[in-house]
Amino acid sequence: MAMIEVRGLWKAFGDKEVLRGIDLTVEPGKTFVVLGASGSGKTVLLKHVIGLLKPDRGSVRVDGVEMSGLHGLALTEARQVFGMVFQGAALFDSMTVFDNVAFPLKEKRRRISFDELSGRVVESLRVVDLGEDVLDQWPSQLSGGMRKRVALARALVADPKVVLYDEPTTGLDPITTDSVDQMINRAKERRGVTSMVISHDIASAFRVADRLAVLYDGKIAAQGTPEEVRRSEDPYVQRFLALWFEKQ
Amino acid sequence: MRRLRAVFEDFGDLLLFGGEAVAWTVRPPWRTELLLQQMAAIGVGSTFIVAITGLFSGMVLALQGNYAMRQFGAEGYVGGFVALSLVRELGPVFTGLMVTGRSGSAITTELGTMRVTEQIDAMESMAVNPVHYLVVPRVVASTLMMPVLAMVFSGTGYLGGYLIATYVSFIAPGPFLDHTRRMLEVEDLLHGLLKAVIFGVVVSLVATYRGYAATGGARGVGEATTRAVVMSSVSILVLDYVITFFAIG
Repeated sequence: MAMIEVRGLWKAFGDKEVLRGIDLTVEPGKTFVVLGASGSGKTVLLKHVIGLLKPDRGSVRVDGVEMSGLHGLALTEARQVFGMVFQGAALFDSMTVFDNVAFPLKEKRRRISFDELSGRVVESLRVVDLGEDVLDQWPSQLSGGMRKRVALARALVADPKVVLYDEPTTGLDPITTDSVDQMINRAKERRGVTSMVISHDIASAFRVADRLAVLYDGKIAAQGTPEEVRRSEDPYVQRFLALWFEKQ
Repeated sequence: MRRLRAVFEDFGDLLLFGGEAVAWTVRPPWRTELLLQQMAAIGVGSTFIVAITGLFSGMVLALQGNYAMRQFGAEGYVGGFVALSLVRELGPVFTGLMVTGRSGSAITTELGTMRVTEQIDAMESMAVNPVHYLVVPRVVASTLMMPVLAMVFSGTGYLGGYLIATYVSFIAPGPFLDHTRRMLEVEDLLHGLLKAVIFGVVVSLVATYRGYAATGGARGVGEATTRAVVMSSVSILVLDYVITFFAIG
């Protein structure tokens, strides 16, 4: 059974149609990347997957649960399977790194002992190459790359089945981008999580994707393995990818 | 016409938001630690400013009361006048306005910043309802602490009034206290406390709603804070009249 299944998804804001019939399937334990230019509707798609937005038409099923019809407590329960890394990291700036990473676990298991909690936080930070020295730091004291890593550690700490990444490499230098890509791959290999990555970073997308889709004008212009998408004859996809491949 | 419709829509959204907050208030888990933190921030943190405001309000009431009643030779009634004014009106109203300026604006700014930096979305993505986690503790804390602060205001105000009446206006302490005892009844205290509770709900709901619905970056947060302070202040004064009208009108 597919972990994420989107069928005929339509969404408009006022007169502007942002998504116009999206169909995609993400298999368990795989990384699916949605590529597209700014304003192509990538983040809107991601927010439908986690139920932050409701579709005008179509369905979004995650782990067998239809997300679009859920509200209140049922939606909150359904989100237990997710971890999400936001574009700007979205760390809670009134909490230290420890409290940020511990937050989802404390909320999921309210009777967890402090020792177990500490152990899980340290272990999760280790996956993203961060040591115990950052535990007492505040988000404002961290660099952009470190904030992204802490956000990934926070997304992984409660053992989610699905991790969603919203532009994980935007604004990062090439070395930090490469290390974030490695961490996405490591999270998949070590934890077996299903990942959905939204990005306009073509190099990064080809490094992490098992399958990818190119979003253009609210529709999927091409979808398949990285090699299949590279060979796509869609004019937009060719133009979108050509700029990057020429640089290489 | 469109503007009027927008105002009604906004008010409807505020009511729905309030309904959601009430629904989550009675659902576990109970976040006692967060509630205590908010009670300290809203209540303990506002005590000094409320006490100072109360002290000077009571002092000026004593001066004005003495000025007015001296013309009828009724200086002895100043004690009752100060006490009734503080307990029924100035205590809850001024406390509501002070908490709006100090805590309400801070709540809107904090939640607004969290909204525009996706921290609230992040919380939702972690299967934590932000209304339950962020809004409920602030609304409950404000509702519980506003009557306490109103009593602090009235208490320090009465003390200020007593000091001015006896040491500046030279009114004998006996008649001042005696008229207070005769004029002030339990019903007056309950009237003031009821107002404070209602203002506590209104100030915190407006502040959290404006922050929660903030959009558009730093400027949007600034606008949300301004609107929260204006809406809370006007609501307090309008509701004060409505409650008083139904109580004694």
